[in-house]
Amino acid sequence: MSVEQEKLLVVKDLATTFHTAGGDLPAVGGVSFDMERNQTIGIVGESGSGKTVLSRTIMGLQQRTNVTVTGSVLLSGFEMVGASEDDKRKRWGTEVAMIFQDPMTSLNPVMKVGKQIDETLRVRLGMSKVDAKARAIELLELVGIPSPQYRYDAYPGQLSGGMRQRVVIAIALACSPQLLLADEPTTGLDVTIQAQILNLLEELKERLEMSVVLVTHDLGVVATRTSRIIVMYAGRIVEIGSTREVFAGHRMPYTRALLESSPKVSNASHTRLTTIPGRPPNLLKLTDGCSFAPRCSYATDKCRVERPELQAADEPGHMFACWNPLPKTRRTVRK
Amino acid sequence: MTETREPLLKVSDLVVTFGMGRHQVAAVAGVSFEIYEGETLGLVGESGCGKSTTGKALMRIVEPSSGTIELDGTDVIAQKGKALRNIRTRMQMIFQDPISSLNPRRRIKDIVAEPLDCWKSVTGDERDVLISDLLTKVGIDPKVYGNRYARQFSGGQCQRISIARSLAMRPKLLICDEMVSALDVSVQAQILNLLEDLKHEYGLTLLFIAHDLAVVKNVSDRVAVMYLGRICEIGPADTLYEAPAHPYTKFLLGAALEADPDSPVHGEVLGGEPPSPLNPPSGCRFRTRCPFATEKCVEIEPQLEEVAPGHHVACHYPLTISKK
Ligand SMILES: Nc1ncnc2c1ncn2[C@@H]1O[C@H](COP(=O)(O)OP(=O)(O)OP(=O)(O)O)[C@@H](O)[C@H]1O
Ligand SMILES: Nc1ncnc2c1ncn2[C@@H]1O[C@H](COP(=O)(O)OP(=O)(O)OP(=O)(O)O)[C@@H](O)[C@H]1O
Ligand code: SF4
Ligand code: SF4
Ligand SMILES: [Mg+2]
Ligand SMILES: [Mg+2]
Repeated sequence: MSVEQEKLLVVKDLATTFHTAGGDLPAVGGVSFDMERNQTIGIVGESGSGKTVLSRTIMGLQQRTNVTVTGSVLLSGFEMVGASEDDKRKRWGTEVAMIFQDPMTSLNPVMKVGKQIDETLRVRLGMSKVDAKARAIELLELVGIPSPQYRYDAYPGQLSGGMRQRVVIAIALACSPQLLLADEPTTGLDVTIQAQILNLLEELKERLEMSVVLVTHDLGVVATRTSRIIVMYAGRIVEIGSTREVFAGHRMPYTRALLESSPKVSNASHTRLTTIPGRPPNLLKLTDGCSFAPRCSYATDKCRVERPELQAADEPGHMFACWNPLPKTRRTVRK
Repeated sequence: MTETREPLLKVSDLVVTFGMGRHQVAAVAGVSFEIYEGETLGLVGESGCGKSTTGKALMRIVEPSSGTIELDGTDVIAQKGKALRNIRTRMQMIFQDPISSLNPRRRIKDIVAEPLDCWKSVTGDERDVLISDLLTKVGIDPKVYGNRYARQFSGGQCQRISIARSLAMRPKLLICDEMVSALDVSVQAQILNLLEDLKHEYGLTLLFIAHDLAVVKNVSDRVAVMYLGRICEIGPADTLYEAPAHPYTKFLLGAALEADPDSPVHGEVLGGEPPSPLNPPSGCRFRTRCPFATEKCVEIEPQLEEVAPGHHVACHYPLTISKK
């Protein structure tokens, strides 16, 4: 086995383009990264930066028409891009599973939650009815749902948002996947419930020896829960590195802007926030230059015509895409 | 905030109940607070605790079942007809969903002028100048965008337009309900800074409702924490965040995630979920999740009491507070 095959996930030059009425929309524009086993990696970026499309493309879930996917996604050595539905289906659930952004839409509202877990187990693992029910109750218990026997018969609408998200996690974990893609698993939940769900994911990751991709727009969620972070902007990775390095030693101006514009609990009241002028670009009208250039205070002529590729920073594994990177100083996050 | 000032808004024992089938739910179950002129009071708490209902009751978008609301010495609840509409112009509310709260088929400058046109208080050229001025203040060029329709704008721009509209009648009190929750951080920062600037320029007093604890800390002078229809703690923002005295506040703040890998990993996570407001627990409403609950908490409902100047807590056993 080559080194490449040992890796859980190797993504190379992955691009997803939607062919829309308004033209070609490069939602993911050439993304490369890889992932070790038993790791949690965070993908952060603002709305529309391509986080969901990237996760769905890794999973091999895309609409059948009006989309072109190029590049490569090796999942434990298996090429997902261009694979047949049958081949992908064999891997869904067991090798890779996904938690979707909106828990309400990923559950069937007119089917008992227990039955929804059962179905996954019977279809994917060929379990008998009796075994599947027993296992489903076990899974409900595993994700911390009180009185699982009784909740087995509940409909999604009868559960709170936090409990529905636990059910979604139970379904994703039903066939013990090696890689879990969690797309905004706690967005819309209260902070106390968010903390419960994030703790649950961390605990399950350890217990089941899986790897997790934690997709979020909330920097607070990834700060203490991941070992590596990918920062996305307009469909591309603009910075990637260890969580600590991305927070404290980032080189790309957008990363800094993103960190500085977030209000902090530890700041005094009425602390003036640093803002980035404007908003993210229209993906239908991307130029050849750096897509952050119209909002970047360091932009030069070169930035507007030539796109910076990812280049290595000092720390191994830390890369950034910028022509005029921030100096190599360690910034403290705390004020 | 130690000087003795007259409150602009004084809310006492506010109760709002909704009928749910044969049952009554007290979404707001006896809430009292004051907001002083020129300050921002933050209102936080988990989903369903009654934050929006409190804001809507102040505006009388929903009718309070009991209690009193005084704005600048006027009893808001006693007002009817024209007088009610009149007092409503002194309070304005901005909602979470910026796009759906603006009529997509109207031009931006007419949306901003809605309250003026409704009252016919300012007309003709004077009106147009005022509208242009308001749009400029919120960072939207009236010459370029004034004639466009709301549906052509992004969430952040729509929220700027909502702000401009809310300022048209020169209100004294602005109620912001999750006004930045749907926005991306970079846009959120722009709107929060804008709000701070306009607050000073227009001499506004703010009730800032949000579930994001960092955002609330950033804009507020004082913060009130709600749980299941009641305020469990209220006090100066910096003190309350540094030394929360109510167990619920402590857990809530402990669960807030700081965008900092070196932030302490919070040990204790609050278990369970808030009970249904249909059937609130006896005694202290937090007792079903509180690790410090005793018999007394089951039997007696704690009332807000001052534990430090301006810092009130409703708990039989408030957490360590430096007793000055
Ligand atoms: N099926 C589709 N057809 C056309 N465009 C699409 C499609 N799905 C997504 N897009 C576009 O691709 C871009 C990336 O979308 P994506 O949902 O991945 O963003 P995101 O980073 O997940 O944002 P959010 O934080 O809002 O979830 C957006 O501009 C979006 O409008
Ligand atoms: N019109 C209504 N009819 C019946 N019940 C209602 C109505 N509006 C609100 N409620 C209930 O009142 C309680 C308080 O709701 P409210 O919207 O004030 O909460 P909130 O604190 O603003 O929550 P969120 O953070 O989710 O916005 C909830 O239990 C809610 O279900
Ligand atoms: S490449 Fe240029 S425009 Fe892009 S982030 Fe770097 S300095 Fe700014
Ligand atoms: S009164 Fe009792 S149950 Fe309520 S918060 Fe205080 S200690 Fe906990
Ligand atoms: Mg998404
Ligand atoms: Mg609300």
